[in-house]
Amino acid sequence: MPQLVTVGVKRPDRSPIRVWVPVLPVVLVFLPVVVLALLAAAVACHVYRISVVRALDTGWRIVCALPGTRLDIEYSRTAVLVAIR
Amino acid sequence: MNEQRRDILGMLAEGKITAEEAERLITALERDHPPAASSPGARPKGKAKYLRLMVHTVENGEQGRIDVRVPLQLLRAGVQLAALIPPQALAAANAKLDKSGVPFDLTQLKPEHLEALVEHLDDLTMEVDQPDAQVRIFCE
Repeated sequence: MPQLVTVGVKRPDRSPIRVWVPVLPVVLVFLPVVVLALLAAAVACHVYRISVVRALDTGWRIVCALPGTRLDIEYSRTAVLVAIR
Repeated sequence: MNEQRRDILGMLAEGKITAEEAERLITALERDHPPAASSPGARPKGKAKYLRLMVHTVENGEQGRIDVRVPLQLLRAGVQLAALIPPQALAAANAKLDKSGVPFDLTQLKPEHLEALVEHLDDLTMEVDQPDAQVRIFCE
């Protein structure tokens, strides 16, 4: 499961910003929203006749496979970085 | 090896050497370093962990760079989503594809086919060299 998400933004004439987001505390803070989202996903699966267990399993596998993802875009003097660890 | 090949192609693009000279240099390079010994294909199978996309562009004198690294595990997990697509959505997508002149039947696309495709991705290396852009897709 991802532990830390790093987001960096560099813009011309402004100081660069780099934010480290610890995933677990953020998920805990937004737990009520996460539970609601999971319930909505379960209802959607039921409506479209998709196995809820299979859908949750696939979703969890995707979340667990996220660490190591890195997106780094730079154009001229502007840059954006998103890294998941 | 790829670095040297790119340098040769770069010199060719800049007009520093002719096409014949570039061909001779690449042939000599391949003779000295056979591709089987140094290409990513020589890496033992199953070792690659990431799919990497690198793009370098020059547009209106401004340099651009895109560097994306995606874990192959994420692709493997992602293809399992294909099994979750409801049949009615596949039928609708098939109809749209057919209407656009792409007679492709998505219902025939099984997750095991996609998994086999991802399994063999570590053999993939794609390089596109243009005077104003370089694209490189490979597994590492």
